[in-house]
Amino acid sequence: MAAMPRNRWVIVLSLVFAGVLAVLPLPGWLELWRPDWVALVLVYWVIALPQRVGLLIAWLVGFLVDVLKGTLLGLNAGVLTLIAYAALSLYQRMRMFTSLQQSGVLLLFIGTGQLLVFWVLTATGHNTPNNLAFLFPALSSALLWPLVFFCLRYCRRSFHVT
Amino acid sequence: MFADSRFDYLGRVRYYTAIAVTPLHLVADLPSRFATAFGGLFVERRQLAEENSRLREEVLRLQFELQKFDHLSAENQRLNDLLKASAIVDDVAVRAQLIGESPDPFTKRVLLNKGSREGVFVGQPVLDAYGLLGQIVEVQPLTSWVLLITDPQHATPVQVNRNGVRAIATGTPDSLHGLSLENIATSADIVVGDVLVTSGLDQRFPVGYPVGVVAEVLTGNGATFARILVNPTAQIDRSRNVLLLFRGPTTESSPLPEREKALEGLQ
Repeated sequence: MAAMPRNRWVIVLSLVFAGVLAVLPLPGWLELWRPDWVALVLVYWVIALPQRVGLLIAWLVGFLVDVLKGTLLGLNAGVLTLIAYAALSLYQRMRMFTSLQQSGVLLLFIGTGQLLVFWVLTATGHNTPNNLAFLFPALSSALLWPLVFFCLRYCRRSFHVT
Repeated sequence: MFADSRFDYLGRVRYYTAIAVTPLHLVADLPSRFATAFGGLFVERRQLAEENSRLREEVLRLQFELQKFDHLSAENQRLNDLLKASAIVDDVAVRAQLIGESPDPFTKRVLLNKGSREGVFVGQPVLDAYGLLGQIVEVQPLTSWVLLITDPQHATPVQVNRNGVRAIATGTPDSLHGLSLENIATSADIVVGDVLVTSGLDQRFPVGYPVGVVAEVLTGNGATFARILVNPTAQIDRSRNVLLLFRGPTTESSPLPEREKALEGLQ
């Protein structure tokens, strides 16, 4: 029995909030460690409600992120679609994982995403770091995943989002 | 992605989508705006009085310098007339506020709160109170992106104020806080402390705005080119209020009777 979509504004609001966090001005050294908030929130909703948040939503969100950050159009859209695809094909397993295991998978997802972004930016002649600093966001994202997970699960349960 | 980096036609899509995401930038800017607003509430009266008197002095000093400047500018105009120089351009500056910066730590781009609605255009020079800051690279209806001069993708044609040596200043890729001069022979007459101003040879930045001060000149043994590091005069990381430069109406230099006389005298 397919449940009617309910309280979808919670999903939209959490993604908007993640977007704000993604462009919030940070001091220089922290900027290197800025977690990929949008990817974290997106992956949560894909795991929790795969019938509501899918590849199309991921692409649209990524497109808005591109405009928001002023990057190449389609860069974040493509990467977020890939991350959402990976999460969508693993969601049943990921629901069984402990939060530590989930963090590990997230590290892999977001690290791969960062690597793709890094490749494209280098290929188009943007300034990129010549060390592994581009992977810091993946690490900080994985560390913050349990927090994001519990916050969003609390929101989902208290607002009965389906 | 490829289409966006190589061609132009996705510009419209980005232009209109930007309207939807602009509020996010404004919200993200709120904390720092509140901090400035409420920081002002808790200032002592004595402090304010001190600042007031200091500003008064500053105004006096600047007015004095302005008088001198007026005189010099008039004289310059006369001399230019004598030399049959073409039009003198008067620039008009419009104030804009910085509302965000690029979240990518490896580029130097900032977002301004003025867009195409206010007539901002791509390639427009951006200054702060101390020097050249950058140029507009992308215009959206309500906002616009500025590429700062310290970005490694940006190059500014400059000349040394002291002797007119020309060079090109680009951002340094590793620090993103300084500039460096490219391909300068070790024998060039550039020393520490030289002030660099825009040379205007790019037809984009107007002539004579300060860009930076030479901080270090490294000449290795047997090196063909010197490595010259420059500190920007603009407060790259601190400016919140910036100026957008519009080309004002060009004032044609009127032929003066004195000039004809002077020319006759020369012949």
